Amino acid sequence: MSEPVGGWRRQRALLDYALGSLRRRGRRNGAMVVALMVVVGVYASVLFLSESLRHEWEQTLEATPDLVVQRMVAGRPTTIEAGALEAVVPTDAPGVRRAWARTWGYLFVEAIGANLTVIGAGPGERAFARSLVGEPLPAEEGEVPFCLVGDALAERLAVRPGDRLAIPDARQETRVLEVAGVFDAASALHVADVMVVREATARELLALPAGQATDLAVELARPEEAPVVAAGIRERMPDARVIDRRALVRTYELTFDGRSGLLGALLVPCLAALFLLAWDRLTGLGDAERREIGVLKAIGWETRDVIAARLWESALVAIAGAWLGVLLAYGYVFGLGAPGLAGALFGWSALHPELALTPVIDATQAWTLVGLVVLPFVGVAVVPAWRAATLDPDEAMR
Amino acid sequence: MSEAADEAAGAEEAAAGEMAAEEPVVVAEEVVKRYFDGGRRVLAIDGVSLEVAAGELVVLMGPSGSGKTTLLGLLGGLITPTKGDVKVAGRSVVHMRDHHRTAWRRRHVGVVFQELMLVPGMSLLENVLLPLAPLGGAGKDEVARAEALLARFGLGDERDARVRRLSGGERQRGALARALVLEPNVLLLDEPTAHVDAENAEAMLELIAEETARGRAVIASTHDPRLAEDARVSRVVRVEAGKLA
Repeated sequence: MSEPVGGWRRQRALLDYALGSLRRRGRRNGAMVVALMVVVGVYASVLFLSESLRHEWEQTLEATPDLVVQRMVAGRPTTIEAGALEAVVPTDAPGVRRAWARTWGYLFVEAIGANLTVIGAGPGERAFARSLVGEPLPAEEGEVPFCLVGDALAERLAVRPGDRLAIPDARQETRVLEVAGVFDAASALHVADVMVVREATARELLALPAGQATDLAVELARPEEAPVVAAGIRERMPDARVIDRRALVRTYELTFDGRSGLLGALLVPCLAALFLLAWDRLTGLGDAERREIGVLKAIGWETRDVIAARLWESALVAIAGAWLGVLLAYGYVFGLGAPGLAGALFGWSALHPELALTPVIDATQAWTLVGLVVLPFVGVAVVPAWRAATLDPDEAMR
Repeated sequence: MSEAADEAAGAEEAAAGEMAAEEPVVVAEEVVKRYFDGGRRVLAIDGVSLEVAAGELVVLMGPSGSGKTTLLGLLGGLITPTKGDVKVAGRSVVHMRDHHRTAWRRRHVGVVFQELMLVPGMSLLENVLLPLAPLGGAGKDEVARAEALLARFGLGDERDARVRRLSGGERQRGALARALVLEPNVLLLDEPTAHVDAENAEAMLELIAEETARGRAVIASTHDPRLAEDARVSRVVRVEAGKLA
């Protein structure tokens, strides 16, 4: 009979044995797979949710002007004279590419229990509105003012393009709008509650007097000059609050990193408990397993063969548990919307209509998570097998 | 050591095995085995020397606790002696590295344990083929040989049966088939008739005698007088308190 053969044939034979062992110890291995799946699933859910929210906010902030100027009264933002635009942000100010007054605001619709963000598509918002529907806004106002709504809002309001929609304005007077289009943006968060209308319609809906704007938006030639331009604006308008887009980015990052980090830290005891359980179950080799290793040694298995078979067995359990956990997390976050967990990450802000998260996965993080689970698990399982396999077969069988 | 080096060593060892055909297949020289049992030092084997030639059926006879199972393990390289030397097929298995000793044992020694030690969740055929896994698993030839062994041992219809469904006698014969699947020079049997009735004991003895006739050195430990008194046995060696009487 020919003696030692190539590595792959040997490994395939040992893998066959490991698969048989998985079946023979099905209950224990099944319990391990389920435990790993749950822990990895919870971790991966936090990971997916925070990555997805980060993506949403990045999308949102991409559509945000470099600087937003609000007028503050009694420490709260209030409307601003649209005519003050040239005085506050001169078009020839250094670093300013363009500036415009924005007409937008929130409108609570009791019937659906939701706040809508009404955006008046003035000159500055036309490009934004066009990016949502992929076509220019209707050129002429028809008999009935038009509106564009996001698909989630359309579903909530039960309307389709061509339908007419009656909603109360800020004075609770009913306004009728025609749904001219429904947009389905790649990112859900920044359009989930948006309704785009003509500027004049927005003023009526929001009860915003003529000549007044919600705020001023500034687009800069070089965003890094924002602090200098903002300082100039504050000089010209002492009661202004100037919001720098980059500061918002940092705030959101800190918020979500902090919350996901906190949730992750809370899960550390779960992971520790799992490894303790695994250690307890795997390190204390049962008599039957110990004797089996002794028999394998006695019939000609080398220590490395025993370890390789054990490594295959535990790796299959760990990989199955970890990837099932990742799949579970994917379904929980992107299929079900992460009920329970989303609230902890979103914080106080409840979003209406329901936010459907765009699936975003950081593959490196997912692989790292799987690796962090699989490697220690395999190590925990292999060490006792190695200890038993290095004994004389007779000792291992006692 | 690499696979190629292992293979070279295997060829050298095979040559050594052939050269040693005229010599005893198993040689124990002044073997001593001590171990600790709950902090107590136990002298299990005390200076035993023994030679077993090819085609011999040697029975180690002695009461429980006399050290015959330990001696059997020492003769097959399953247990490392505290002192002395054991040669199997012309080479000392005491001074080999663990993986060389295991490979040597796989090649030259087949073992049937007292507790049978078949893996319960596997089929009988899978159990018989288990020693082949480190060699890359069983090909058609190996499966055919295993099936032929099972058929010869009256287990042809049980090849796919799970071990826990088999009777004591069937398990005994299955364990013997597993020990023989790699065609070893030496066959070690620990209490081969302990768990079977008279009929199955006789069947087992017949199979053992057949293997002896094929030129294998067979060493069996027992306290069963039926085996010790059987005419097919070449030699009975009495073991008492770790020594040969």
